[in-house]
Amino acid sequence: MAAFEELVRRHQHGLFSYLYRMCRNSSDAEEMAQAAMVKAWEKLGGFRGASSFKTWLYRIGTNLCFNLRTRRKPTEELVETMAAPDAARPEQAFQQKVCEEVVQRALARLPADQRAALVLSVYQDMSYREIAETMGKTVRAVDSLLFRAKTNLRKALAGDRAKGVI
Amino acid sequence: MSNKAMNCGQAKRLLPPFLDEELSGRMRDGASAHLASCPACRAELEALKADIGLLEQAGTPEVTPFLVTRVMAEIRGRRRPVPRGFGRLVGSLAAALVVAVSIGAGVFFGSGLAQTSTPVAANSTEAAVGYVESSTADMYSLMSGGY
Repeated sequence: MAAFEELVRRHQHGLFSYLYRMCRNSSDAEEMAQAAMVKAWEKLGGFRGASSFKTWLYRIGTNLCFNLRTRRKPTEELVETMAAPDAARPEQAFQQKVCEEVVQRALARLPADQRAALVLSVYQDMSYREIAETMGKTVRAVDSLLFRAKTNLRKALAGDRAKGVI
Repeated sequence: MSNKAMNCGQAKRLLPPFLDEELSGRMRDGASAHLASCPACRAELEALKADIGLLEQAGTPEVTPFLVTRVMAEIRGRRRPVPRGFGRLVGSLAAALVVAVSIGAGVFFGSGLAQTSTPVAANSTEAAVGYVESSTADMYSLMSGGY
């Protein structure tokens, strides 16, 4: 039990960060992270070590997140839940907030599987092989997903770029 | 093995894995050589870097400090069926061994991992109008076709 708690501590930030980008909602992300870790505990006996614990755990989280999406439409969350802006540097804080909103909007426009692959690549620094293990796909499929994700990301950001927002 | 130079279409298709350092050997060398001689594709690469840089710039909120507590409380509160006798001992030892190895090996296992084609139960058919949904070329077909 203590050993598993240590694993939870090690992976809580990364897993929450990933699920936040997927759910676009802190509350849902926390709920999913908790559910994923509890499910991992329940399924621990079935973990054979064919993949890393991290990719196995994130796969559980991915499936929970996708299942949640099919049950209900996720609520859009503004960036008020982010860390309080630095009062000493209001302009910088404002720019950061704008960046957050632009990124959230752009990611939200991607299909779920493209978003998952992109988030795992950019924010979790996973290799294509690790992403493939997490998503239950082949490396070739991940390559294709990321190509489409980055192409669509460019399109999603084009509007804000044209307006000079970013 | 083909030694022909890579064209812009091929190079652009390989920009994401090139940037992610997922290319190796001939593919990587071919992409590098093309980028060295093509300003348009270099500009495309810089644009891709800028997009990724923007994503990286956006942080994520801090996870609640109570997540670990909640997880462990839920685990302790759940009733689990306990195998009887020898099965219980083996099950407990197996679970403890898995957790210990995961921590002791720095969590991650490395190479030689099998690729699985088992799909995640995801609604990947969701399509955004006008968005790229399929690609007939990828780094593997480019490799087999000798680009």
